[in-house]
Amino acid sequence: MTHEKIREMIGDWLDGELDAPARAAVSAHLDACPACDAEAARLRRLGPALFRAPVRPDPRSTEAFVSRVMARVEADSVSAWERFAARVLAPALGLALAGLVFAIAMPDPDEDAPLGVAAVSADAGSAFEVAP
Amino acid sequence: MTQTGDAELARSAAAGDGDAFAELVRRHAPRVRALCAATLGGPGEAEDAAQEAFLKAHRALPRFSGEASFATWLHRIAVNHCLDVLRAAGRRRSDSLDALLEADSEALGRALSEASPAKALEDQDAVERLLSRLPPEQRLALTLRELEGLTYEEIAASMSCSLDSVKARIRRARADLAGMARHFPGADIV
Repeated sequence: MTHEKIREMIGDWLDGELDAPARAAVSAHLDACPACDAEAARLRRLGPALFRAPVRPDPRSTEAFVSRVMARVEADSVSAWERFAARVLAPALGLALAGLVFAIAMPDPDEDAPLGVAAVSADAGSAFEVAP
Repeated sequence: MTQTGDAELARSAAAGDGDAFAELVRRHAPRVRALCAATLGGPGEAEDAAQEAFLKAHRALPRFSGEASFATWLHRIAVNHCLDVLRAAGRRRSDSLDALLEADSEALGRALSEASPAKALEDQDAVERLLSRLPPEQRLALTLRELEGLTYEEIAASMSCSLDSVKARIRRARADLAGMARHFPGADIV
């Protein structure tokens, strides 16, 4: 294998992600090639140089975090209800009101009857028809 | 007394049990907070991101099928949220960072070339600036490997991408970081 190919594989080799034959091939090359071996050493240092092991969290810090998350969850639930009200309930209520206003203001086909009386009378009549 | 399992708590939380969700947050906060801190740097932004990840999980609870473990499902949400934050940060990235590239790369070069045992860079701001030069996907894949010790297959599952993408991202991230360090005194030029 070429140096270039080996260097492409060094990261996978460091991470234990190569199958047995490839792992053996890279190991043999690194034993014999100081330049590639130095590159492997550099890459091995990269992780520890940039990533610190996480410290064990203080239980009080975790409890404070839980409280903050739960406060946001509660606020989110309230705002979800408000969003629902704004998107669904308010337009529905508006439509219902508009319908009511339209029904009241609609010109009556029975011109002799006072405004709105005919509709009310008709509704009242049908109510009587369906009542037992 | 037997501890209630995550899946059962998740079902209760989905049905509106706040205490059940609080218990899930308590159990999984350390890992999610560590992931956000390592991925996003600044403590304020990381804490906010960790809270936001749990909030997203709470909203998505009705869709939690239990097919994967709750820990895996939550981790995926946290990883995706970190990616979103990194992408947004990338769009805001200031050119003033470039002024510090030389000093940061030199510090990394020394850390990679010293004969003494490997150790973390002291300057966490420098670490953050160096990592912020990587594309978000590369940075996250490398973080999951180096910080959490996940296998490539686990990283692929968390990032919802192929195994080949994970390999390429980690390889590219290491090559770019090692490349930055190589240009400065103290680095082994190989």
